[in-house]
Amino acid sequence: MAPMAYARFPFLSLLLLCCIGGLLAILCTPAAQTRRIKWISAVFSGLCLVLSAGLFIAYDQSAGGLQFVEKFPWVPSLGITWFNAADGFNLPMLLLTGIVFFTAVLTMWELETRVKEFFALTFLLVTGVFGLFMSLDLFFIFVWYDVSLFPMYLLIAVWGSTRKEYGAMKLTLYLLAGSALILPAILYLVVQAGLSTFDLTALMQPGTFTPYQEKFAFLLLYLGFGILAGVWPFHTWSPVGHVAAPTGVSMIHAGVLMKIGAFGVLRVGIFLCPAGWQHWAPLMALLATIGIVYGALVGLRQTDLKYVIGYSSVSHMGIVGLGLATVTVDGLNGAVFQMFAHGVMTALFFSAVGYIYDRTHTKAVAELGGLSRTMPVAAAFFIVAALTGIGVPCLASFWAELMVFIAAFRVYPLYGSLAVGALVVSALFILRVVQRTCYGPPNQRLTHLPDIPPLLGVPRVILVSVIVFFGLLPAFMVNMIQTATVAFFNGLP
Amino acid sequence: MNWTLLSPELFFLTAALVFLGISMSGRPDPERDYLTAVVLGAVGLGICLAYVPLRGDLFLGAYRVDLFSQTFKTLLAMGFFLIVCICNDLTGVAERHHPEFYLLLTASTLALMLLVSCVHLLPLYVALELSSYSLYVLVYLRVDLRQGVRAGLTYFLIGAAASAVMIFGLALLYGAAQSAYLADLMTALPGMLHQPMVAIGVLLALAGFFFKLAVFPFHFWAPDVYQGAPHQAAAYIATVSKVAAVAVLIRVAALTGGAGSFLTDALVALAIVSMTVGNLSALVQKDFKRLMAYSSIAQAGYVLIGILSMSPAGYGGAIFYALALLVMKVTCFLVLVAAAGGGRNMEIAGLAGLHRRSPILALALMMAVFSLAGIPPTIGFTGKFLVFKAAIAQGHVSLVLIAMINVVISLYFYLMVVRAAYLTEPQGPQPALLAPPLTRGLAYFLVALTVLAGIYPTPLITWADAAARGLM
Repeated sequence: MAPMAYARFPFLSLLLLCCIGGLLAILCTPAAQTRRIKWISAVFSGLCLVLSAGLFIAYDQSAGGLQFVEKFPWVPSLGITWFNAADGFNLPMLLLTGIVFFTAVLTMWELETRVKEFFALTFLLVTGVFGLFMSLDLFFIFVWYDVSLFPMYLLIAVWGSTRKEYGAMKLTLYLLAGSALILPAILYLVVQAGLSTFDLTALMQPGTFTPYQEKFAFLLLYLGFGILAGVWPFHTWSPVGHVAAPTGVSMIHAGVLMKIGAFGVLRVGIFLCPAGWQHWAPLMALLATIGIVYGALVGLRQTDLKYVIGYSSVSHMGIVGLGLATVTVDGLNGAVFQMFAHGVMTALFFSAVGYIYDRTHTKAVAELGGLSRTMPVAAAFFIVAALTGIGVPCLASFWAELMVFIAAFRVYPLYGSLAVGALVVSALFILRVVQRTCYGPPNQRLTHLPDIPPLLGVPRVILVSVIVFFGLLPAFMVNMIQTATVAFFNGLP
Repeated sequence: MNWTLLSPELFFLTAALVFLGISMSGRPDPERDYLTAVVLGAVGLGICLAYVPLRGDLFLGAYRVDLFSQTFKTLLAMGFFLIVCICNDLTGVAERHHPEFYLLLTASTLALMLLVSCVHLLPLYVALELSSYSLYVLVYLRVDLRQGVRAGLTYFLIGAAASAVMIFGLALLYGAAQSAYLADLMTALPGMLHQPMVAIGVLLALAGFFFKLAVFPFHFWAPDVYQGAPHQAAAYIATVSKVAAVAVLIRVAALTGGAGSFLTDALVALAIVSMTVGNLSALVQKDFKRLMAYSSIAQAGYVLIGILSMSPAGYGGAIFYALALLVMKVTCFLVLVAAAGGGRNMEIAGLAGLHRRSPILALALMMAVFSLAGIPPTIGFTGKFLVFKAAIAQGHVSLVLIAMINVVISLYFYLMVVRAAYLTEPQGPQPALLAPPLTRGLAYFLVALTVLAGIYPTPLITWADAAARGLM
């Protein structure tokens, strides 16, 4: 096999082009032809999934490092380059985005209102997400960050439910407040480096920044990206936004967008300011642990299904934060794996709840009941998601959480035990929700409702199989991430 | 004397004379006036573009034609052209006054073109006054006389006060440097900035342009004038006259050679207060044009960030930002003229259902306000990015943080505009809005420009940088 032959082809740009091509194709289709728009969306998002999975498989793990590199000058006077590459950190994220995007499009197959605008905005959003994950140029990372955020406002405010305008506005303002910290930090680092380049690999050479500069910039970057990652106490937008968003958007949002935050902390904050990372790690660990415990405890009190998932997301993203805060290879591996696992799991969760909501028109735990008898398939998907959320072995989250907790116990024994304790609490509240919604006497009003038809079952089946696959064969993912983490730690001073 | 150097100015003078002739014919014919204006505007823009490479000095060195001035003349001509294009619905002005309206618009553009080329204090002042007096009358021309008079009077009184302050500042500078040529001031001033007289002189001299740009504390006129003036006049004041103000502010700031901490501190304070006052006041506005006014005050603050960086990168950023302002604001006013109809003022709520009535106008409006808010990939983001980068390079990290917080505040009211256009449904049935082909074409063009200059701004940045470097 000649790796260089195909590695030269700009596969990453092709992936972006698939998104943009889908967007343009949708824009050129008359709004009345909703069926055609849905098929276009499915085909192009399917292509994205195939490409991202192909890249994941084609990556040469024994060689490691940056592969599929594309580098062209963009604004030479400012040192901005079109610089995309794949490594062990972003390939899992690209794969995750492909999976969630495709399944979200299929999940929204029954959408009737303003179909064209919905799918166009979704494609725009996902373009930003893919772009951010693959880019190694700070300018583009920032641009993609914002591109992936601002369609959210319309997506939630137009197609959402519960308090949608409030949720949309809150989410947008919070996340752009994050970007208000990120842009100055990026500009500060670029100017201080004096290299007149936005190239991340050039800026991350050891000795580029003084420890003071790294500490200052890392704090801004951590808080800025952390808002999107749902770091306590900046998480309040997240449950509200998840609840307000329509199903497909909740899936992308909780499944992928929140990962952008964590990935940004990793890719920009930790890569550029390792000294700042080590300095602020105790703070990160503290906030992450509070997030884990707080999310679990607040989740215990929720009566709305989507709020339950929303708070469990806060808790699970806390685990990612805790992994990053350990400053160890295992912690980092676990954090990235957890990003992937949580992304797939939460997409399945929202997808299952979305179906239940579409049919029953209620998300209140008290009004549901006996779903395993009235809608056995829908209930099954919901239960699998719940079990993954708890961290049952043989499902993807288990390995991720295990790696983080092992690392956390070594570095922060107290936080580690608190986090494990919170996991037990969260198991309690999720199982209680499962028990109340899926078992017990069925609500008589809801007994006649149809179960998931085969077509709508496809996206959920894909998500479940991904969870089970990486639960049974975690080495596929861990080895991939390992290629990047080990190399990164070897480069640390 | 080489008259070709003056081609753009001479063309606009001719255009003004054409409208003078039409106005004396006495037969109102809006269609004829509109077409004449559009054609003349297009030709004017073409001439300005063709004469960008011109270089030379005129009138004993008091008038300079260089890349900087020609760039701004192109921007001014572009602004003039875009604004006459949206004069298709000039119902805010009585029909018999249409030729005068175009005459004053052309005269003001001509004056601003002279202004960006002046390198001597005296013609600088005269050109500024010429453009201002045209605008004072333009504002009065509103059919609804009560609104027009109030707006015109506000504009005139504050403008006259600012101009008086400014000429006092110019006198101080002349007294200190013993010369009125900017070139002499440029060599003399940097060494003298520590003298209170010179520092205050520079600040007062800037006052006239702060007034045009609506920078705090010379911003009080903006909301009333925008609201009271005919839409197109307000659009002109919001765009073209600001572009020229940016040009002269850059020229005057460049005089100080980047020195002078007192001056920089003062500009930092003005920028912060302008942004904050503009954005906070905009939060509670209901009228679309008042919102635009307060947003302009805030935008002026962002432009100042580029200027106070006192570096070629900062000036280049400010030039780029001037273009961005032009594009974004013209788009907003284009939508206003089409959506309000009949030259009436419109509340933000009046945009309800726009996405159904005219998808392209709704899209254009959304892109324009996202661009004003500085969200990539739009021209407004690139502008902000450039000025912020220049400011951080000069060590103004906290200023940029404050500016970014302002951006977040401003996002709220910009999103309210998007919400009105995309989310709310109108009371009662509203017919589809069939904008004329030129308006629709213009909307497509502006959206494309907004996005393209956000994605691939390289040629524009290179041009702006070259223009700024020629100044130093």
